[in-house]
Amino acid sequence: MTYEMFKEAVIAAAKKLGIKEYELYYSSSEGTSAEVFKHEIKNFSSSVFGGACFRCLVDGKMGYASTEELSEEQAESVVRRAFENAGVLETDEKQFLVSGGQEYEPLDIKPYALPTTDELIKTALAGQEAVYAADPSVIDGTEAGAESEVARIAIFNSNGLDLKYENNIAIYYASAVVSDGKEMSDDFACKAGSFDALDVKQIAEKAVSGAKAMQNADVAPTGNYPVVFSPKAMANMLSAFSGIFSSENAQKGLSLLKGREGEKIAADIVTLVDDPFSPESAMPINFDAEGSPTRKKNVIDKGVLTTLLYNLKTAAIGGVKTTGNASKAGYSSNIGIRPFTFSISAGDITEEELLEKAGSGVYINDVSGLHAGADPVSGDFSLQSSGFMIEDGRKTKPVKSFTVAGNFYDLLKNITAIASNAELRNPFGITAFGSPSVLVTGLTVAGK
Amino acid sequence: MISRELCKKVLSVAVSTGADYAEIFAEHTLNHSINMISDKVDSVNDSVVAGAGIRVFKGLRSVSASTVDTTEAGLIKCAQRAADALGEGSAAISIELRERLFGDIHPIKTVPASVSNAEKVKILKDGYFAARNHSDLIKQVRGTLLDIDHNILIANSEGIYAQDRQIRTRIAITAVAEKNGETQSGFCGPGRRMGMEMFEHEVDAVKVGIKAAEQAEIMAGAGYCPAGVMPVAIGNGFGGVIFHEACGHSLEASSVAYGTSQFCGKLGQQIANPKVTAIDDGTIPNAWGSINIDDEGTPAQRKVLIEKGILKMYMVDKFNGRRMGMESTGSARREDYSYTTTSRMTNTFIAEGSDDNDDIISSMEYGLYAKEMGGGSVNPTTGEFNFGVNEAYIVRNGKICEPVRGASLVGKGSDVIMKIDMVGKNLDLGTGMCGSSSGSIPTTVGQPLIRVSSITVGGR
Repeated sequence: MTYEMFKEAVIAAAKKLGIKEYELYYSSSEGTSAEVFKHEIKNFSSSVFGGACFRCLVDGKMGYASTEELSEEQAESVVRRAFENAGVLETDEKQFLVSGGQEYEPLDIKPYALPTTDELIKTALAGQEAVYAADPSVIDGTEAGAESEVARIAIFNSNGLDLKYENNIAIYYASAVVSDGKEMSDDFACKAGSFDALDVKQIAEKAVSGAKAMQNADVAPTGNYPVVFSPKAMANMLSAFSGIFSSENAQKGLSLLKGREGEKIAADIVTLVDDPFSPESAMPINFDAEGSPTRKKNVIDKGVLTTLLYNLKTAAIGGVKTTGNASKAGYSSNIGIRPFTFSISAGDITEEELLEKAGSGVYINDVSGLHAGADPVSGDFSLQSSGFMIEDGRKTKPVKSFTVAGNFYDLLKNITAIASNAELRNPFGITAFGSPSVLVTGLTVAGK
Repeated sequence: MISRELCKKVLSVAVSTGADYAEIFAEHTLNHSINMISDKVDSVNDSVVAGAGIRVFKGLRSVSASTVDTTEAGLIKCAQRAADALGEGSAAISIELRERLFGDIHPIKTVPASVSNAEKVKILKDGYFAARNHSDLIKQVRGTLLDIDHNILIANSEGIYAQDRQIRTRIAITAVAEKNGETQSGFCGPGRRMGMEMFEHEVDAVKVGIKAAEQAEIMAGAGYCPAGVMPVAIGNGFGGVIFHEACGHSLEASSVAYGTSQFCGKLGQQIANPKVTAIDDGTIPNAWGSINIDDEGTPAQRKVLIEKGILKMYMVDKFNGRRMGMESTGSARREDYSYTTTSRMTNTFIAEGSDDNDDIISSMEYGLYAKEMGGGSVNPTTGEFNFGVNEAYIVRNGKICEPVRGASLVGKGSDVIMKIDMVGKNLDLGTGMCGSSSGSIPTTVGQPLIRVSSITVGGR
């Protein structure tokens, strides 16, 4: 059955069980993708997806249940299961459904036409040829691909809320593998947005030059140096530690930012913005996962923590208004908290000037293993890194297989310069992280 | 789920444009988890995942299509999308399906869905409060009890029509200890391919809580791990994540078939230290990563991947196997119907060796004992990997000394497996979730205590 039919069935089932306060969240998508190996399409895929999550308030507790099977039987089942699940909850935190009649900022989405299946395949194939053409060291294993998706979200609740969202997303990527005959190295470049202005050659060259730059990389020498994080590396760090800005984590003792709103937590030059309407985002949106209006705000303003990120529940506990940051990891998830486009604001010097300031040290181009080497509670990190040595204020020889270690809370205070080259990393979904290059002191590099 | 007749109809549509292979993977899965934090039951996740994925191959080309709509019309439409994307042509094969029964080598005594929320909460609380009340240092605890009832059906143009029901149960406790304004976490999260009987004789929830709390307490008092290159002894059980990341992923057909693995073309060659024998075994009864059949309907196998350092086998699925000229090894896995299947690990471990555990520690003049590993990741192309270490100690003059925190291990897979120069006798398995292109799947890692003669330790 369709979502509208399922919604009616759920309303009837809720009425039958005497449930008065409830919400139905529905997320659906249709997507296609093409991947190339050597000079042919290796895999083409096409998906049709939809899942519904029902949640209801029973004696102040919020029970959840969800399903991908939209049927009369499942409509009754999700309502009954959510009701039963509410019954075992013990938390005394008060839960809320958003009231109707909210005011939402108008959304300025300029929808672009999605590539047809034919265009998708042609773009992926052309992209692959561009990667091979970029350099003779490119080898098989290189992979270009293209994806397109229509994503939809609908939220309906018993307070009269009835929101709908739809957006088109197209993504093109190139993953280049190069070899000098002895060692392989790789890099990845991508772009989200209309294929009309897509320059596959430029993306191919970016991926290939990134992979080539890491050939014959040495292990960095152990020591304490000034460290420059590239936009990519810093955005990845921000993504690993974004949970420290969640009011829920703070309220539960899982973030050391608890009770520190209004205090200085970072260097004066640091401003951290959360923007649900960023024109660079693939999914700008004017309501959050609870249906509250979203808004742009400086989370850190010139070093001062102005606000944590809140949803309805944590805002009530904190005695503040929600910041519109309710989120769901997937349609079936409980409500949590996440930023939208979360990025450190650009400074006013070029990256070259930033490197000159560093003098000698290490340029971290990328960090990996964030789920293992970063502890979001303590802020401690020790991360596998790759990049370049900085000598005489310039990037020199490539280095890899070393770790950079420190503490994220300290890092925020030890940012001594910020470049102007702000970049958003993989802006494919509602949440994306961005940063310019930043110069940080007080970190430990462990290599040879 | 879907009748044999309907499968036949759908597969016939899928091959209508000339595919030489077609497959339906359908599932109906119940996911249920109860979560505690701040001493209270905080949330319950409860979802039904249901849908179907259809794949067609023509030579080395593959098309996948997936849908949530498993009605006849929805499935036919999905098959048509797959057939259309393959191109123009006419049916070259006909479909006959014969039902096949593989039996169940992983019997389940108590299906979790038949146990009330209240009973599950009681078990979770045993573990939760064992951690919470362990000492004054423990300031916060998170606990989860989850169970999964994953029903799959596979029908393909080779004639298979088979079903499997995969039930898994897991408890996970994270304890947070605070000392001098700094926090450290400890974690323990065992799981099995079992029902609620897991708590009768396999896993003691109280012990799980205590282990998480003890780890957090030890690490809260610890200084930072020194950085440098040194010998490292890696503890048994979850320590096996080092083989999983440093080596296992590079032995999957998903990278070997495309020439992007550090171990391409190395069958029969010495790729590891002669002390190393490594096995991927999907048939261990009731182990977390075990299966009866893989997600292409091939029975689970026990595969010796590396024998005394010599590379013997890769882990292969049907599609990538075509490119490699190899048969499937029962390694095809996917998180759910919406992902495209590829070759993945099941229960992967380094086999027991001949060194005494005491000798391994006493052989180290100065180094690190990584007692409990955290997660890790690898780039299969370069083989560069990284791991977090959840619980580590400095070894000095052959003795385990003070605990240190914040350690990580980095290196290159092909180097590190040559440097595993001592292998102990206390093989144990650890529970994990492995993320890759076909989604997040349950896998087991394992090993006895091992020594890596030298590896870069990240710390400060």
